[in-house]
Amino acid sequence: MSKLSVNNLTAGYDEADVVSNVSLEVMEGKITCLLGANGAGKTTLIRTILGLNNSRSGRVALNGVDISTLATHDIASEGVTCVPEGRRVFGKMTVLENLYTGAFLERNSKVVMLRLEQVYDFFPKLKERSNQLAGTMSGGEQAMLTIGRSLMSNPSLMIFDEPSLGLSPLFVKENFRIIKEINEKGMTVLLVEQNVRQTLEIAHFGYVLSQGKIVANGSVDVLRDNSELRAAYFGNA
Amino acid sequence: MDLGFFAQYLINGLVQGITYALVAVGFTLFFGVLDVIKFSHGDVLMLGAFTALALFLGLDRLSTPTWLSLTIMLCLGTLTMALLGALLCKFLVLPLKESPPLNTLLITLMFGSVIRESVRLFFPNGSNPKPFPALLPETSINWGNLNLRLDSVILIFTGALAIVLTHLFIQKTRMGLAIRAVAQDEETARLMGINFTKTVLMTFALGSGLAALSGISTGLYYQEINFSMGLMLGVIGFSAAVVGGLGSIYGAIVGGLLFAFLQTLGAIWFSVPAYKDVFAFTVIIMLMAWRPTGLLADRSAERV
Repeated sequence: MSKLSVNNLTAGYDEADVVSNVSLEVMEGKITCLLGANGAGKTTLIRTILGLNNSRSGRVALNGVDISTLATHDIASEGVTCVPEGRRVFGKMTVLENLYTGAFLERNSKVVMLRLEQVYDFFPKLKERSNQLAGTMSGGEQAMLTIGRSLMSNPSLMIFDEPSLGLSPLFVKENFRIIKEINEKGMTVLLVEQNVRQTLEIAHFGYVLSQGKIVANGSVDVLRDNSELRAAYFGNA
Repeated sequence: MDLGFFAQYLINGLVQGITYALVAVGFTLFFGVLDVIKFSHGDVLMLGAFTALALFLGLDRLSTPTWLSLTIMLCLGTLTMALLGALLCKFLVLPLKESPPLNTLLITLMFGSVIRESVRLFFPNGSNPKPFPALLPETSINWGNLNLRLDSVILIFTGALAIVLTHLFIQKTRMGLAIRAVAQDEETARLMGINFTKTVLMTFALGSGLAALSGISTGLYYQEINFSMGLMLGVIGFSAAVVGGLGSIYGAIVGGLLFAFLQTLGAIWFSVPAYKDVFAFTVIIMLMAWRPTGLLADRSAERV
């Protein structure tokens, strides 16, 4: 069943369209990945889905309901969370406060505490560091925190925007392992990445974005030896 | 100089300093959430004082007891200005969010003039200073050269309480968490489900309410207000916020107290009170040259 479906979405800045006529489906309980080189339009597409950019045309639906006109915070309240690109933690807040922002929409403090325990179980390191200012943590720890923060909202769809960007190889591996583990617990994931090899290892379905258009899609086995995928990354040589 | 004089200056300076800090906290909050400087802040302060005065004149006719008048003036005065602050933000500041910051600065500066001139023209006999009722108890204790007025003590405590409550609100409540999140990273805050517009409006309401409180305190202390009182208080509050470090609440408090301290020092030093502002601003300029990001803000953009 399709959790998120994007239909003929066109979006961009000022005069130029950055993505045009993009359609994709994110299947319930699966990891769907969106691959593409720098400048392919991945971030624009994600921002448009999340309501941070306006679309020019097209439709975004969550569980079959149109969300393309909703404000970002309303989309979040529908159970969509995003682990933003570049580990955007609230640097001047403690780890604990960062986690509380993730659960901002939950007003029942008992429920929040329960989620906090789950996140701490998942990332014991965050518990140790709960009173540390997030800005003073290492990149890998911040990556953990952004994932924990998103989990605090008890989402039904998690969007990861280039989680491996700027991380050391060790943490990249760890990050992918965490995403896989979260998915195995039943989470629907949309994973936006440049790291083709490791992404295809954990994903179920994939889309390849090149110059604002979807140039290939299918199960990861099909994508692995797809010439369009190579072309999207290495040019049409 | 003996201890009595010294204590006297200290108390007077504290009353002033707290007033400035209340204004500075507003500047710092607005800058924190939206990166804007809102130059109508001083005029909102003045309008708060005039609203309270108008309320008093009405209540006085109904021969309302003093304590009740004072409570109504404080509550309605601050609430009205909080509402005005939110409206101002919604219709003048937020629509300009994507345009250069200079536009916001200019438009709020002009709106401040509109408020100021309106009070001058439409408040009865508005171009002259207005007596403000002395509603606080007028008891005072003489202790050597120290004349400790009870109203000073009340004003210091009220102002300090307002600042402490604001701080607790920002640090400990859900709305405060939203304000800090928006101040640090607007987009990520929105991704967490925080309503950006609501949070910003709330912040402007809070800052403007504090300005009104500051204006009413000034009226109660000097027992006189005038339509241009917001100009100087606005400039001083802004300098205090900048010298303390825009975006930091502690900075605003330190800046406000520092400015009052410098004025007091200047008044003692030159024995001509008129020089106190010249002295205070000169020192502030030097401090800003020395620490351009403020005394308390760190090098990275510190917010709220």
